[in-house]
Amino acid sequence: MIAAPPAPLFATLSSRLGGDAEPLAEDAISELVEQARGGDAGARRRLYTQHVDRVFRTVRGMLRSDADAEDVTQDALLTVLTSLHRYAPRADARFAAWVMAIAVNTVRRRFRRRRPELTATGELPETADEAVDPAIELDRARQRRALLIALGELPERERAIVSLRYGAELNASEIAAIVGLEPATIRKILERARTRLGARLEALLSPDGGMA
Amino acid sequence: MNDEALGHAWATLEPTGHRRRRIDARVFESLDARDTPLAAEWLELFRVAPLPAFGLAVASAVSVVAAPPLVWFARALI
Repeated sequence: MIAAPPAPLFATLSSRLGGDAEPLAEDAISELVEQARGGDAGARRRLYTQHVDRVFRTVRGMLRSDADAEDVTQDALLTVLTSLHRYAPRADARFAAWVMAIAVNTVRRRFRRRRPELTATGELPETADEAVDPAIELDRARQRRALLIALGELPERERAIVSLRYGAELNASEIAAIVGLEPATIRKILERARTRLGARLEALLSPDGGMA
Repeated sequence: MNDEALGHAWATLEPTGHRRRRIDARVFESLDARDTPLAAEWLELFRVAPLPAFGLAVASAVSVVAAPPLVWFARALI
């Protein structure tokens, strides 16, 4: 068994690759929502910045390509920012949960006719970011590909649930409200998927896993 | 692999800087288009291309004036 990929490396990669929005507390988010509802364009932009990467990495875990994830992210965030008047704060769910519910609905609406197939092999990042060290970029691409392969082996529902957990950082109750299951069921599915994903990632990233 | 490691693994799915800038541009172009009043759009069009804008305004005005009698005539024929 090999060690898990180093967390600080992922954190560094994330911040270097555009994950630059310092997450705000829920109170601050609620304040931004109020300001944006009142027509404050700056507040609207900050709300967008707070959620765009999170939406993309969540739907990317559910979809077959970066291009599909890009389209869904655009549509979902446009819907969010033009529907703020419909948002009703709830004690048991954060604003991010409402955003993700819209993102998941956008995925369903867009792919109602064709089942989204997730592939990890057909794409490379279109252009590497200028400031990123090629060795770091290569490592990131390897980790990313392994994650997409492992995700592709999960059933569609589990893929959506783990993406909402690790991509959107939602809790079991928030995920349950979005996918229409009980929180206890979500916890069981997450436990099973975490074990399966972890084992598969470790196998893929091991020296003889074909991705080293 | 624990929760934290999986959370960090998901960070590799974030968009590249190039893709992110494209998403930003498209979302804010759409928002700006929604926020801009029609009169402001016309003024901008007159500023950028005065002659085509004038032609478009005349054609729009003519079609607004001509449409009701034409519709009435078409209904009378049917």
